[in-house]
Amino acid sequence: MNLGRFILNRLGQIVITLFIITTFLFLLFRMMPGDPTSMILDPKMPPEAKELIRKEFGLDKPLMVQYLYYLKNTLTGNFGKSFYYPETVLEIVKRKLPPTILLFTTAVILSYLIGLPLGKTIAWRRGSRLEMGATVFGLFFYTVFIPWFGLIAIWVFSYRLGWFPIGGMLTPEVWAADVGLFPKIWDVLYHLILPLSVLTLLFFAGSMLLMRNSMLETLREDYILTARAKGLPERVIKNRHAARNAMLPVVTALTLSLAFSLNGGVLTETIFSWPGLGKALVEAVLNHDYPLAQAAFLLLAILVLFANLLADILYAYLDPRIKY
Amino acid sequence: MGRFKENFNLFRKNRLGMTGLFILLFFLLLVILGPILPRIDEMYRPMTGVDKEILWSTPPSRAHLLGTDFMGRDILSQLAHGARIAFMVGISAALASVLIGTLVGLVAGYFGRLTDTLLMRLTDILLTLPSLPLIIIIAAALGKQSLWIIVGIIGLIGWPSTARVIRAQTLSLKERPFIEAARVSGASNFRIITRHIAPNILPLSFLYMTFGVTGAILAEAGLSFLGLGDPSVVSWGMMLQWCFTTGHTFRAPYWVLPPGLSISLVTFAFYLIGRALDEIINPRLRER
Repeated sequence: MNLGRFILNRLGQIVITLFIITTFLFLLFRMMPGDPTSMILDPKMPPEAKELIRKEFGLDKPLMVQYLYYLKNTLTGNFGKSFYYPETVLEIVKRKLPPTILLFTTAVILSYLIGLPLGKTIAWRRGSRLEMGATVFGLFFYTVFIPWFGLIAIWVFSYRLGWFPIGGMLTPEVWAADVGLFPKIWDVLYHLILPLSVLTLLFFAGSMLLMRNSMLETLREDYILTARAKGLPERVIKNRHAARNAMLPVVTALTLSLAFSLNGGVLTETIFSWPGLGKALVEAVLNHDYPLAQAAFLLLAILVLFANLLADILYAYLDPRIKY
Repeated sequence: MGRFKENFNLFRKNRLGMTGLFILLFFLLLVILGPILPRIDEMYRPMTGVDKEILWSTPPSRAHLLGTDFMGRDILSQLAHGARIAFMVGISAALASVLIGTLVGLVAGYFGRLTDTLLMRLTDILLTLPSLPLIIIIAAALGKQSLWIIVGIIGLIGWPSTARVIRAQTLSLKERPFIEAARVSGASNFRIITRHIAPNILPLSFLYMTFGVTGAILAEAGLSFLGLGDPSVVSWGMMLQWCFTTGHTFRAPYWVLPPGLSISLVTFAFYLIGRALDEIINPRLRER
C-alpha cells in the first residue's frame, strides 16, 4: 500500500470515529432527565408556548427521526443556534478554532523540541546529577495542577513584574488601529508567550522521559557495540546511531500525548482567558448552552484526530522501513 | 512474604520512589489528624460575625494557622478535609478504571477475533479523545453534580491505557506452556482466566492504578476548579475555585498556595511511586 491509500484508510477510520462520537453525544443529551427544552424554558410558560418551542426544535418527532436530522445537521456543520449568544454555533466555533490551534500546536512542537534533546542527553549521562534534576523538575510539572500553576505564573509575571498581559489573545486597540500586520502579529505573540511557556513546561517531561527510555534501550543494541568497536567518536554514536533510532517510538507516542496536551489546553485557555475552544466548552457548560458545548467538544475531537493523522504521516516519513 | 521483602528492598533503593512515599505519608498524616485538629468543626462555620477580628479572609494567625477564607472559615481544616477527599476520589476512581481496563484487556486478549477487534477499537477511540473535555461534557449532560457521579465518570473514562497493556500481556501469557497444560487437563476458559492468567497480570494492574490515581485527582480538581464539581464537598479544587471566584487570587497567597501545592504534591507522589514500581515490574528499565 502506498502513502495515499494509507491516508485514505485513516480518513475512513476518522469518519467512523466521528460517527460514533456524534451518536454518543446525541444519546448522552437525550438521556438527560426531562427533555432539552426544560433547561432553557421558563417553567411558568403556558403549555401551548412550550409546545411551539418543542416543535421549533423538532422535539415532537420520534427519537429516530430526531437522530437522523441531528446527523444530517452535524454533517453539514449546522450546529444550531446558541442558547446564550445571538449567533449560530458554527459562527462561534469558527472563531474559536484558530486560537486553539495556535496555542496547541506551538506548545506540542516546542515541548518536543525541548524534550527530545534533553531526553537524549540524560540517557547518555545516566545516573548523573543532571538526570536526577531534569527528571524531578520535569515530573513535577508533568503532574502539577495546571490552573494553579497558571495562576501563579500570571501572578508573578503579569501582576507583579508586569512583563506580560493578564490574559486574552489580542489588545483591541492595536487591532482596531490601522497599524499594518507586524504590530498585530507582535501583539498576539506578546499574549501567547506566557500560556505557551506554561503549557510547554507542563509537557516537555512526557517526551523527555519517553526519549530517555527509548534511548536507553537503543544503547543496548548490538550495532552500538559495533560502532564502539569500530572506534567511532562517542558524539557520532550518540547522535547518529542511537538518537535517530530512539526517536521512532517517541513519535508513535506523540499520538497519545496529543490528547493529553488538549486536556491541559482546556484548563490553560480558561486561566489565561485565551479565546479558544476549550474555554468556549467550559463556558458553554456553565451557561447550559448545550449546542455550543457539543460543537466545541466535537471540534476538539476532530482536532486531535487530525493531529494524530499528521503524527502518523510524520512517522512514515521518518522511518522508511514502514510500508503501509 | 519473602518476595514482598525483596521487592520492598528494591523499592527502597529508588530515591524518587521513596520521596513519593514520604510525601504520601505526610498527607496521610493530614488525613488522620484532620478530625483531631482543634478547629475542624469551623470548616463550614463562617467566623464572620462570631469573631470580631475576622470579617473576611484573614492572613495566618495563631488561631488560624493558614488563615481564613472569604467567610472566615479555617483554611487548614479545609486542607485536611481536602486531603481525605483527594485520596477517596483518586483511589476509588482509579480502582474502577483499573477493574474495567483489566477486564477488557483480559477478555480481548484471551478470546481474540471479533471480541478483540471491537473492544480494541473502542479502546483506541477513547484513548485518542481528550479525557477532560469528555468528562466535562458528560458531567454537563448529567446535570446534577455529586462527588460519586464525578468519580464514576472519571473511572469510566480512564480505563483504556490499562486495557491495552493488560491485553498485550494476556496475549503473550496465552501462548505459554502452562496455559496449554491447563487447557489439556480440561480447565474452562473462566478457570484459566481467573486462576492462571489474572494472577500474573495483577501486578501490572496495580501499577496502572498508581498512575490512575494521579489522573483522577487532577481530573476532579480540574472539574471543581472550573465550577463543575460537587459544591457541597470541600475538595482542594473547590478551595481554589472559591479563592479564584471571590477575587483573592492575587491578594491572598496563604489561600492560593496550599491547595494547589497539595494537589500537585500528592499527584507527583503517586506518579513517583508508580515509576518506582514500574522499574521493579519491568526489569528492563533497571540500571545494569
